Amino acid sequence: MSELSELHRDALSELFNLGVGRAAHSLSQMVRDEIELSAPFVDVIQAHEVSAVLIGSEFRELSMVTIDFEGPFVSKAILLFPERNALAILSNMLDPDLTPEEVSEFEQEAMCEIGNVILNACMSALADEFGIELYGSLPKHYFSDTDSLPIFVGGNAEQRLLLLQIQLTMRQQLIQGHLVFLMGVGSLLDLRNCLDAYLDRLGMR
Amino acid sequence: MDIELGAQLIDSLQVGLILLDHEGRVVSWNGWMKRHSGLGLADVAGRRLAELFPEVSGSRLESSISDTLRFKLSSMLAPNLNPNLLPLYHRAADRQRDQRMYQLIYVTPLRHDHCACLIQIHDMTSALRRERRLRAQSTRLIESSYQDPLTGVGNRRRFDQDLAQRFRQAKDRQRSIALLMIDVDNFKAYNDHFGHQGGDACLIQVARTLRDGLRRDGDRVSRYGGEEFAILLADTDGPSACAIAERLRLTIEQLNLPHPAAPGIGRVSISVGIAAMVPSDEQFCHILVAQADLALYSAKDAGRNCCMWYDPATSGARALSKCNSDRGQGADKPFTSEPLRGALADTLA
Repeated sequence: MSELSELHRDALSELFNLGVGRAAHSLSQMVRDEIELSAPFVDVIQAHEVSAVLIGSEFRELSMVTIDFEGPFVSKAILLFPERNALAILSNMLDPDLTPEEVSEFEQEAMCEIGNVILNACMSALADEFGIELYGSLPKHYFSDTDSLPIFVGGNAEQRLLLLQIQLTMRQQLIQGHLVFLMGVGSLLDLRNCLDAYLDRLGMR
Repeated sequence: MDIELGAQLIDSLQVGLILLDHEGRVVSWNGWMKRHSGLGLADVAGRRLAELFPEVSGSRLESSISDTLRFKLSSMLAPNLNPNLLPLYHRAADRQRDQRMYQLIYVTPLRHDHCACLIQIHDMTSALRRERRLRAQSTRLIESSYQDPLTGVGNRRRFDQDLAQRFRQAKDRQRSIALLMIDVDNFKAYNDHFGHQGGDACLIQVARTLRDGLRRDGDRVSRYGGEEFAILLADTDGPSACAIAERLRLTIEQLNLPHPAAPGIGRVSISVGIAAMVPSDEQFCHILVAQADLALYSAKDAGRNCCMWYDPATSGARALSKCNSDRGQGADKPFTSEPLRGALADTLA
């Protein structure tokens, strides 16, 4: 069963792209260099499908940042990059004289903030357009591999994942990652209600 | 807990606390903030951070605060990505030097009628300074692990790394790279005559003279082993490399270091083998070393205190005068050392 129609997904995609566009602006300011971000597609999958869908088997080491959001719907938002891509982002953002080892020492802290910027921008775009408040926690950073994504395990079969591919371009380098919003079926329906109200207001439904 | 105790606790914390109301105006400002900003609650109460500190306008801190006030989102601002955001000072003396504190900032929402946003500021200055010191130290250690302890020039590890890196760059950019292999002539006899300490002093002087004789930034002398030195020259073709080699050979000769045990001039001298190439895709860096080696041993065979260059046209070494004239026009028979040519052929294969 798909809880979100194509129209819902299009609307979400548009809102998230609005969000990542703002995030790109903030990140560009931070590094004083042009950074582009886009989230080309939104999909809804079940928790047990995640490993297969997410990254495939190509990259096993993951660098991820999570933030819990709580409002009309509840969601754990996750920004997730293959470890290699995360280091590529950071080596562009931090002091260029740092060695790769030093970059990885700063990874937890810097990824936390980058994840914070991107996830908050997405959620604030939703909150803004829906006219709601979403209490957000501080970001947490994890290392993981695709086999043991602890965040996805232990959830029940009712868990749904809103999955976005995210593309970050900096210094002519395209870096791919994923945005995942982990939510129960109940919360997904609440999100759908928010989307319906938003679409109604725009006269699109 | 009574209010008085609460206030004392907040003022005693070793972390900066700012409370903002729903409009983003300062409601509370603890003792730590007063100590490190020089402003007391009376100076800041009822005002927005951007009014107090113009640098906050348009900053990520301002947008974080706005996200918290409007949507209840939380943010963290790491010191490495947002250095010295607020005019706070680790020590009072830092203010005169305008050395701001490194700050780790958390912005979180509050569920309260009057207070909407809590800002916590941690002083990361000591940690970051320590980090810098450690990094500087590790840089120095890395430097020393690439240095020949006797002569102070690069060691073999330095050379091997430079060779791999510069050869790859030359290949990528299709630019010429040259290598000079240098050997101190009759060094064993020198050592036998002056003892090992005398030999060490000689090597130090030769190494420094070679180093000081290089004029371009980035060109580096490395001790290849024993009394052999190597110099890699990026963006340098054969004739230029020959000119540099000959200049260095003369400089060493003109040091006038007595070498009574040497046949001939009675002074310390060097032999130099030169190779240069624009590497093709299928060539490896060892070829350059093998070619320079071949030229060096040819120079030794030719009587020492001279430079020889590797001529790819004949796969043999030639005396220097031929390097600058038309290739292949030389009437002289190219100087080749048969066993070395065999070794080179093996390397090339």
